Amino acid sequence: MGDDVVLVIVVATALAFDFTNGFHDTANAIATSVSTRAMSPRTAVAMSAILNFAGAFISLKVAATVASGIVDPAAITTTVVFAGLIGAIAWNLATWWLGLPSSSSHALIGGVVGAAFVASGPSAIFSDGLIEKVLVPGLVAPVLAFAVAASAIVVIYNMVGRLRPGPVNRGYRLGQLVTGSMFSLAHGTNDAQKTMGIITLALIAHGNLPANSTDVPFWVIVSSAAAIALGTYTGGWRIIRTMGSRIIKMDPAQGFSAQGAGAAVVLTATHLGFPLSTTHVISGGVMGAGAAKRLSAVRWGLAGNIALAWVLTLPAAAAIGALVYAVSSVFGNGPLGPLLVSIAVLGLIGVIFGRRLSHQRLVAAQ
Amino acid sequence: MTVATIDVGKLFELVWASMVAGAVVAACFSLIIIGVTRAADCRQNRRSGSATAYAALSAVATVVFLGIAVFAISIIATK
Repeated sequence: MGDDVVLVIVVATALAFDFTNGFHDTANAIATSVSTRAMSPRTAVAMSAILNFAGAFISLKVAATVASGIVDPAAITTTVVFAGLIGAIAWNLATWWLGLPSSSSHALIGGVVGAAFVASGPSAIFSDGLIEKVLVPGLVAPVLAFAVAASAIVVIYNMVGRLRPGPVNRGYRLGQLVTGSMFSLAHGTNDAQKTMGIITLALIAHGNLPANSTDVPFWVIVSSAAAIALGTYTGGWRIIRTMGSRIIKMDPAQGFSAQGAGAAVVLTATHLGFPLSTTHVISGGVMGAGAAKRLSAVRWGLAGNIALAWVLTLPAAAAIGALVYAVSSVFGNGPLGPLLVSIAVLGLIGVIFGRRLSHQRLVAAQ
Repeated sequence: MTVATIDVGKLFELVWASMVAGAVVAACFSLIIIGVTRAADCRQNRRSGSATAYAALSAVATVVFLGIAVFAISIIATK
């Protein structure tokens, strides 16, 4: 009975993480399209949500489990996964609140690393894996996307610079429909699979699936796809605003080059088996498309804040994951710890959003 | 930092392949726009030969761009 409760909590938390992942990363696919008016905001989130949902069904290679190669598999228990998920959700909500794009995957890895560190000690963490799968891609993604987008916008301005701006702008807006769709599809395929992997892992640990199972139950696929699509449709508007109009004020050609270069980098990396964060890539792309036109076009102060959020993602999510695991462990190995933590987190979110809503009503009344 | 954990060859391949892919996507879509815009201008000026040539350029670039999009979807599907 106790194990059943823990399983239900982990599945619900995984779907909640999937939802935050969707709404946190909506900006990656649609911010530039909305900013350049290639699509209306509602159409953009609806399209992105549908493609995220579809993307979750395209590829089901869920064998890659959470933090594989970074954390000793023997150290990963359902409570560690639960604590890691809470760490990732908390960091996603905090960065969304501040309107800063950050990697949900790095947050999840950070949360699991922190929880595993408390559960099994430093020997459970593979530092080589952290360097190879988090630090190096974290450095490469934005710098490479910056360079690719900058060279792409130079190519574009040189080719179409003498044409009438009307048809050119309409053309690049159309192009953004294609590149935005690619981003959404790739995101659904990549990120919904993380949740499927987590839930499958929990089902294996609980004994619902055999230990060597690679089959993902259909309800897991559908619920993961639905959670990420729903999160995407909800739209993290604060981050969309940051990515679409606060870093640079972009024209349709810049929007196309940022998205096109971003898609080129993400898909080339996927093809070579070198997975990069879509958030890091598109942020670097937007900055590159702006800087190539004029260095001062980029708000470097904001870019610095975004970079700081990236640096803090892993340690902050790890600290929260570690704290959640420590608190849960106080109540033993049963479901009481995760249950109390879940209630506390839900209560905290309710209080924060309730205060925010009442503040908005007060402002509206005045 | 442990250099041994970083596949420098793969990293270098990622850099040049991404640069080429980004430039090809940008150039290809720009050719579509140039073809369509110039073809319309030529038609207005009754230069049907040039209009046809630009329309053909645009059509070829569209086929290449759609080919790139299909290749991208195949990468997503088979990763």
